[in-house]
Amino acid sequence: MSPGTSQDERRLDQYLGALPKSIEPARDLWPGIEARMEPAPGRRARRWAWQAAAAVLLVASSSIVTLQLVKPRAPAVAELPASPSGPAVVPAAFGPGHALDPEYLVAKEQLAEMLAQRIDAMPASARSKLEANLAELQRATAEINAALALQPGDPLLEELLLNTYQAELGVMANVNQLTRMNGTLNQTESARIRL
Amino acid sequence: MQDRGGDSEFEKAQRKARDIGRVEAAVRGSSSAFEDLYREHVGRVYGLCLRMTADHALAEDLTQETFVQAWRNLARFEARSSFGTWLHRIAVNAVLGQARRRSELLGETGTIEQQLGEVLEDETAGEPGSTRDLEAAIAGLPPGARYVLVLAGVYGYSHEETSAMLGVAVGTCKAQLHRARKLLRQRLGEQEEQP
Repeated sequence: MSPGTSQDERRLDQYLGALPKSIEPARDLWPGIEARMEPAPGRRARRWAWQAAAAVLLVASSSIVTLQLVKPRAPAVAELPASPSGPAVVPAAFGPGHALDPEYLVAKEQLAEMLAQRIDAMPASARSKLEANLAELQRATAEINAALALQPGDPLLEELLLNTYQAELGVMANVNQLTRMNGTLNQTESARIRL
Repeated sequence: MQDRGGDSEFEKAQRKARDIGRVEAAVRGSSSAFEDLYREHVGRVYGLCLRMTADHALAEDLTQETFVQAWRNLARFEARSSFGTWLHRIAVNAVLGQARRRSELLGETGTIEQQLGEVLEDETAGEPGSTRDLEAAIAGLPPGARYVLVLAGVYGYSHEETSAMLGVAVGTCKAQLHRARKLLRQRLGEQEEQP
């Protein structure tokens, strides 16, 4: 077949078009697949969701421990009311068809509650910046989830989604920690002045 | 065993409806429905993996990985494309992920012609020699050109679909296809000239 002529191009198209689309493997691959199938497809948390859960629990538990260590002596009931005007925290999901590990959701809920309690004490400019950052991360999460619906199992998208969740939770944890430290410092300062 | 991609529109619609019913049953937990999907589509998935990787054993592993990922992500399938196309996207991701992890893999083309020859020996027994020659010539292409030729040239995906699957620009896709076709014509021309 000499290169370049339109006749050659047509012949090549014919050859390519005539190739079988289907080739059976030499052995039955089903037993190996079946052995790796867990029940209830798509409704369980994925393996890498556990990584996220572990990371988030670490952040959350360290925040809670820090809270216990530096918590002001105000009664616990003062911590309970959540601000109705706090930033919207969208429930997390790893792709449209995936439920998250309940522990992950609890950890995220705890961080969101703590954030809601502290956000009113933040300066207006910092608060709007925080809300914009969280909204941006949540928008990114939605877009990556949509992309994952089209490209299921894409490792880059999955990693990106995991990073986005972690970034969102990292922002929440950092804000909680900073506002707590700020409150503790103010309290220490007041006590010093009283002395 | 091998389809030639010549199904009528009615047959395609029938198959799509059947696939959707099986997907719904599998999402509810029916592994037998998923096995039916496997039996229906394994040839096209394995064919794609074999042609993209040029490695018989690896293609089997990646076919299994594709169906395991499909099972885990089944709830994400939205029927906007055919189930076969959705599987192909997962398979391409599996191939690219494996290639990233084992960059040396795609240099192992020494045995592919023999492997493809073995696989296709029975199937192509009464056919013109050009089919087997063409498979061997495709297997001998550089990886980038081979990926594009397999997706666009053999499986008929558009440049847009092919570039999206491979994560490359449409222009790159067109250039790689042009290069692949040129190399194929040269190779097939050389074979024709041999006595």
